Amino acid sequence: MENELSPPFDVFPASVWTALQQILDGLPTFVTLLNPDGEPQFANRQVSEYFDATLDEMKGWESACTVHSDDRLGVLAAWQRSVSSGEPYDYEARHRRSDGVYRWFHMRGSPLRDAEGRIILWYLLQTDVEDRKRAEEALRVSERNLNQTINTIPTLAWSALPDGSADFFNQHYLDYVGISTEQGRHWGWTVAVHPDDLNALAASWRLTLESDRPGECEARLRRYDGEYRWFLFRTNPFRNESGTTVKWYGTNTDINDRKRAEDELRHSEAHKTAILDSALDCIVTIDHEGRITEFNPAAERTFGHRQAEVIGKTMADVIIPQSLREQHWQGFARYLATGQARALGKRMEMTAVRADGTEFPIELAITRAPLDGPPSFTGFIRDLTESKMVEEQLRQSVHNLRQLTETIPEMLWSATPEGTIDYCNARVLDYTGFPAEEIQGNGWKDLLHPDDVDQAFREWISCVTTGAPYRVEVRTFHALDSTYRWCVTTALPLRDQHGHIVKWHGTIVDMHDWKQAQEELRTTQAELAHMMRVMTAGQLTASIAHEVSQPLAGIITNASTCLRMLAVDPPNVDGARETARRTIRDGNRASDIITKLRSLFEKKDVVTEAVDLNDAAREVIALSLSDMQRNEVILRAELADDLPPVMGDRVQLQQVILNLLLNASDAMSTLVDRPRRLAIRTEREEEGSVRLTVQDTGVGIAPKNFDQLFNPFYTTKSTGMGIGLSISRSIIEGHHGRLWAAANDGPGASFSFSIPSGPDGAAGTIKRNTMLTSATTTRRKP
Amino acid sequence: MLIKRLLISVVDDDESLRESLPDLLSEFGFAAQTFSSAEEFLASDSIGLTKCLILDIAMPGMTGPDLQQELRRRRQEIPIVFITANRDRTIRSRLLKEGAVEYLVKPFSDTALLEALNIALQLNPK
Repeated sequence: MENELSPPFDVFPASVWTALQQILDGLPTFVTLLNPDGEPQFANRQVSEYFDATLDEMKGWESACTVHSDDRLGVLAAWQRSVSSGEPYDYEARHRRSDGVYRWFHMRGSPLRDAEGRIILWYLLQTDVEDRKRAEEALRVSERNLNQTINTIPTLAWSALPDGSADFFNQHYLDYVGISTEQGRHWGWTVAVHPDDLNALAASWRLTLESDRPGECEARLRRYDGEYRWFLFRTNPFRNESGTTVKWYGTNTDINDRKRAEDELRHSEAHKTAILDSALDCIVTIDHEGRITEFNPAAERTFGHRQAEVIGKTMADVIIPQSLREQHWQGFARYLATGQARALGKRMEMTAVRADGTEFPIELAITRAPLDGPPSFTGFIRDLTESKMVEEQLRQSVHNLRQLTETIPEMLWSATPEGTIDYCNARVLDYTGFPAEEIQGNGWKDLLHPDDVDQAFREWISCVTTGAPYRVEVRTFHALDSTYRWCVTTALPLRDQHGHIVKWHGTIVDMHDWKQAQEELRTTQAELAHMMRVMTAGQLTASIAHEVSQPLAGIITNASTCLRMLAVDPPNVDGARETARRTIRDGNRASDIITKLRSLFEKKDVVTEAVDLNDAAREVIALSLSDMQRNEVILRAELADDLPPVMGDRVQLQQVILNLLLNASDAMSTLVDRPRRLAIRTEREEEGSVRLTVQDTGVGIAPKNFDQLFNPFYTTKSTGMGIGLSISRSIIEGHHGRLWAAANDGPGASFSFSIPSGPDGAAGTIKRNTMLTSATTTRRKP
Repeated sequence: MLIKRLLISVVDDDESLRESLPDLLSEFGFAAQTFSSAEEFLASDSIGLTKCLILDIAMPGMTGPDLQQELRRRRQEIPIVFITANRDRTIRSRLLKEGAVEYLVKPFSDTALLEALNIALQLNPK
């Protein structure tokens, strides 16, 4: 277009220039040639078209008038610097196109120098970089957004160099741990890691770096306020095109709450496992389809299945007997369909089956796990085989016991610790004719004779209060003959291990017949004793006659004398008065003797009183003296001083003493070769009892006869029944004492009895008062 | 004129009789001495003076019959009236055979005693 123009620079020959100009115009870039002062000398077609201006027009433009005003100063300065220094020019600026649109251009200008180095022209290449610039801007915006994102996302984000040292933390991170980027750079961030977690975290980080693969680790980070919280550290490598890791990007996520929940869950799981494993009950859990999900060790033991074998199997097939499966499925289906369950939350007894096919009783309770989602059920199962057996045994035992209490021919009852009757066996009901409900509580009082109720009730209350054994003899109503019969009612308290009374158990024993028999026996014995006394009296006739005759003789003599004294003239009144006085005295004496005899021989009730055995013995001696004299027996009494009294019946004891004395006398009646000596001795024994011994020098007792001595009809005498010793023994035993015979060292035998001394038996030394007695020394003086 | 009373000795262990008999004997007109035992009588100086002996049979120590034997042995022929509380025909007949004047069973009447004494004293050679 401007072919006619001369080359702007003399360095190009015209021909070259023409060709060059054509080439430059064909280049798809902006080419401008400028003189050393910077004035454009040539602009190629691209330039002219862009600005829609000729070179001449361009020459007339102010410097950089097409450059965007924002870029203009920079352009001018850079250009000025290059022109003045000769340095290449390199600048980017927006140039306004002819249509007014600015586009970015990269401008490079280089000087062309001559041989001497002088700049002869600048060539300026302008490349349209608008698209690139736009891309760059877009990128910048994007980066800014990313930065914002990174800094504002609610997680801790960071990056690290391939060697692992940190080079970036997002703002949230810095804010959270309260450090600056500088402080955190490299390894500075580790100050916020919990000391206990640091080693593990470092090791994990090292492994991740070595493996060059994504990694994660958990550790506690300290918040700005000092609180440590659990974080999950996660990192991914960033690789360049060749696959080399150039960066690590990571985030730390706060998992504290999750972690705690996890811990709790773990604890809870551990707990549950422990419970499942150690539970004595079988625990079997099934899901909503009835499949087993848990089967604890107790279940393994009980059913004989391994857990691994049954997990996932249908429970019904595993532990429910064939016969019951249908029922089970119906219940299960009903629950799933309606939510109604007969089995839930209740204890049931049913039959289960073991791996070996044996069926056995179980107790079952089913609960539904309180979880969302499809229902799952937990069954608690207890093998009842043993407890059933125990229960059966217990039942049997209770049954047997009840049978025993109902069938033994004794009346039994029990009462609460408070004394309320709570049980009477059938014998009580049969005996009394009362229904159980009328006896129980305090109704038992109606069973007793009205005269006995108060005493029995007082005693019962006392025993219930003190826990002492209960024993009363009461008349109890007997339905069969509508009478009251004597019964012994007893009870003992049953105590627990602490000694507290938990029950009273008692019996009622009808002892009416026994008591009557006792009474009859007593009567019989008394009659026998009396009979013996009468017989003894017969033996003593001479003595009695003697005893009575003596005062009678005195009386008659005195009376006769009295009459005679009064018959003379004048009457001897003083003498008569004296003889009358003696008459009265002797009359009294005779009366005393009769009284004594009567008391000894009359039939009378047994009386228990304090008896001085010495006195009793003296009276008996006095009574039998004449008999002794007649038999030429020398009687010696050795009666202990201060002999304690005994409790008993005076007459009975005297009867025994008399019997022993007469026996001894009889035993010596045939003696001709030695003195007939009889000693009666009283003494105090160490055990708090009193002994009386009658010793003779008679024929003695053959050892073979010792055993028979006390048989009722044993006798060595030709007369009498020999019943004396037997009765004597029963009398002494009635006094809680004993009677025995012994052979003497010398001739003869000794008979002794010993009975406990009475309550007044005082301790003291016994002084033996030995008297060699003749009849007169023991004879009662008037 | 004073007539010396005849001495009757009583040997009995029973005090009632020892008290009552002397008064009665005195009413009969006799003098009386009492002894509680045969031994006491034997030891006394009354044996020779005694015109009649009222003697109890059953006594501790020496009995009435023993004393009778002893007196016979000593040639002391004193009439004896036995008194006893025991009625025993065997002993009675034996004692009468031995020379006893009478065998009175206590209690005896005053007339029975007086009769016995009269017999005894009539039999007495004095």
